[in-house]
Amino acid sequence: MARQRDKFGRDPGLQARMLLTMFLLGALYVVFIAVLLAAGAGIGIMVIAIGGLSLAQLFLSDKLAMRAMGAKIVTPEQAPGLHAMIERLCIQADLPKPKIAVADNPMPNAFAMGRSQKNAVVCATTGIMNILEPHELEGVMAHELTHVKNRDVLVMTMASFFASVAAMITQFGFFFGGGFGGNDDNDGPGFAVVLLVSFAVYVISFFLMLALSRYREFGADRGSAIITGRPSALSSALMKLSGAMQRVPDQDLRQVSGMNAFFIIPTSVKKSAATLFATHPPMEARIARLQEYERQLQGGAIAA
Amino acid sequence: MGLFDSILGRTKLKQPARDRLFAMSTAYITLETGMGLKHRNAAGIVFQSLPTTDFESIVKETDELLRSAAADTGTKVETSKDAYEYQWVILRDSDFEDLVVALNVVSSNLETAGYGDRILCAVFAFEDGGKPIYFIYNFKRGAYYPFVPTGAKDQDVEHALRLKAQLGGELPMEEDLARWFPLWEIPL
Repeated sequence: MARQRDKFGRDPGLQARMLLTMFLLGALYVVFIAVLLAAGAGIGIMVIAIGGLSLAQLFLSDKLAMRAMGAKIVTPEQAPGLHAMIERLCIQADLPKPKIAVADNPMPNAFAMGRSQKNAVVCATTGIMNILEPHELEGVMAHELTHVKNRDVLVMTMASFFASVAAMITQFGFFFGGGFGGNDDNDGPGFAVVLLVSFAVYVISFFLMLALSRYREFGADRGSAIITGRPSALSSALMKLSGAMQRVPDQDLRQVSGMNAFFIIPTSVKKSAATLFATHPPMEARIARLQEYERQLQGGAIAA
Repeated sequence: MGLFDSILGRTKLKQPARDRLFAMSTAYITLETGMGLKHRNAAGIVFQSLPTTDFESIVKETDELLRSAAADTGTKVETSKDAYEYQWVILRDSDFEDLVVALNVVSSNLETAGYGDRILCAVFAFEDGGKPIYFIYNFKRGAYYPFVPTGAKDQDVEHALRLKAQLGGELPMEEDLARWFPLWEIPL
């Protein structure tokens, strides 16, 4: 029986793909750094500036996200059920208690923010709390807590650091032409090369980061299944939410589309959007994985 | 779960630290004689109830084991599910040692069956002049913390902090106050 239980929630393929994506991102950045170093002066300041911006993003993203969603921190008195549910999940996941926020918004969604496990905020909209049954909400909250446990905000901010550098160089290049840096007569490659490489780095890292984001989502689904022991509750929540998302009018959705990467369900669910561009894996793939975890979980009984 | 696990998004649940549960079997004497608390002859253990037939049979087996042992010790066994669908095993016995032993039976039985990671807490019920005082043992952390509810959703944190200071060395205490999770509606 214990042997059977060990298999529950194991997914080496997911880890391998996540590792490969991170490796490719890393390799890309190493090449990029080499080119930047070869190009010489002016770049250092820019890297420091972007570093500052990344840090600001890391420290302010939770507050910005909360403001964008109109979310407010709630006390245990204001939302006793939500607090009690998350407290129990925190004991189970061995996490310190995050701040808990509620957004008065009919759009059903939830997100987790914060640079570390001790500075995390978990937010749910009133919409999601109305639509989902307690078990389904528990699955969603466990998904968000797994984002906290896996330090996903930190991972994605670090992963996007060089992408931001590349994007900025590309923009500067378009605005100021070849005049930037003004060191065309030194030994390193010319600015045109840096511009070209920056553009390529930006494009490739953009897709790699989307892929990484999708793997992090699978990771969070898996964490939710492990923490709650009820993979099917999250499946049911995802199905309910995807149905509800399509019914919500477009205008509401666009207001919040900038935060897609951190939502449990992205707000634009147009089927035509290529999977390559999605921050979240397709619903069918997520549910298929969850069904596999449920099968592993129930497997103990069949073998016994 | 190390940093490498979290970077790879690999969630792992902690196995229960059962050994330090026994610290209560001596600390309760200090609680009773030194601090004037009275134990309520009751303790409980709470765990997630998995909706699988294997898990249900393990829970049933544990229950039977407890009841057969109770024939000798006189421990009363109750099971219930709370509002959040977590499973409680409530034990009542005037002999405090028997309570600790019975709690250990439940946790070790679940752990042997491979479900140790589903155990949340053990709770010991005391009172101070009629006011309920609980000592909660977090199995994931291997540490105790006091919980003093004063109403449906209110608690006396000051009193809890005082208890921690008074007990200091006697019990392994949870140092991170962010992990002093209240458990509302404890069924004992």
